[in-house]
Amino acid sequence: MTEKQTYKVAGHVFSLTLDNSALWKSLTNYSPFVYEGGEEEAFSLKIVPEVDLSGKEQLFVSEPENGEQRIDIHTLPDGYVFEMAPLGDLPICGWLKVSKDFSVGHLMTVSNKIFCINNALMLMYAFRTAGMDTIEIHASCTVNSGRAFLFLGKSGTGKSTHSSLWLKNIPGSWLLNDDNPVIRIVDGVPRVYGTPWSGKTPCYINDNYPVGAIVRINQAPKNEIHKMSVVEGFASLYSSSSGLRAIKSIADGLFATVSSVVQKVPCYLMDCLPDAEAAQVCSNEVLGNA
Amino acid sequence: MRIKDGFTLREIVGQHVVIGEGLSQVNFNKMIHMNDSAAYLWKSVVGKDFSVKDLTDLLLERYEVTEEKASADAAALAAKWIEAGIVTE
Repeated sequence: MTEKQTYKVAGHVFSLTLDNSALWKSLTNYSPFVYEGGEEEAFSLKIVPEVDLSGKEQLFVSEPENGEQRIDIHTLPDGYVFEMAPLGDLPICGWLKVSKDFSVGHLMTVSNKIFCINNALMLMYAFRTAGMDTIEIHASCTVNSGRAFLFLGKSGTGKSTHSSLWLKNIPGSWLLNDDNPVIRIVDGVPRVYGTPWSGKTPCYINDNYPVGAIVRINQAPKNEIHKMSVVEGFASLYSSSSGLRAIKSIADGLFATVSSVVQKVPCYLMDCLPDAEAAQVCSNEVLGNA
Repeated sequence: MRIKDGFTLREIVGQHVVIGEGLSQVNFNKMIHMNDSAAYLWKSVVGKDFSVKDLTDLLLERYEVTEEKASADAAALAAKWIEAGIVTE
């Protein structure tokens, strides 16, 4: 039986269609985002037994580092195909064929189906909404005093660790998302939204808060926080934003949104240890200025 | 010399930055901050082959400087761009 379900994340509506009821039971991360209103879909994804890849030409081959996933990109006469694997040394297990404007996607998977579906929806979401005052961020996000604090950093730098230090040591803190929240500018105010994508931490919260600060986490032998200039803040947030910059409309959209956010929100560099003092030093600065 | 494909000059809060946006620059995780004269030169030579002499002439056209100073500035800037990996020799 084929079923279609519609979701709304940060105000953008999208749908997923598949005919495997066992898979639906594994997609509980989407449950808080189910949408039953009548707004138009920004994009749709359908899981299909086969996709036509004729005319495929290689555009980009990723070089995943240890523990990173593989995503290779090819062009098709009428769109793109993204080939994915959970790790660089594993064979390709999903083929996502998307239209040029990223509004229509078809996904074929041979294994790791949940990984492929999540990845396909994240990709389509980031690329489709890049020109809509929206950015998908690789970050951990903690809420305190009604504001959202984003912790950025490369994989393994301690974004999640820093969030968990806030949860343990800074009263009133709670986790909104641990890996892929969305920032959207609404009525001129940058807000962080929870999403169905949160890395290894099951934290799927359909809620949103104004951004209090954006903090880049950097492992160091001591705890120290520095305010960034607007241009430094831009570099920091831009490098943590998802999107295929080689497509001009996406690059333009990302640039517009990121540059607007960093002019409205304070950005910091936090040199830190993985200890309670790090959360104290960081929160003393950012809660005071938020 | 030539500016490599996939780099875009953009402006944020009145400041010029060059960002790697092409597919070949997917792993180029830095941004080059440029002053007004560097941005002017970049815009003038993007997509073309150019030499230090071309940069010098462009500086002389626009700014009131001696040829000696323009030439030294142009050479220093070209070396900086090459070192940053945004221009081929």
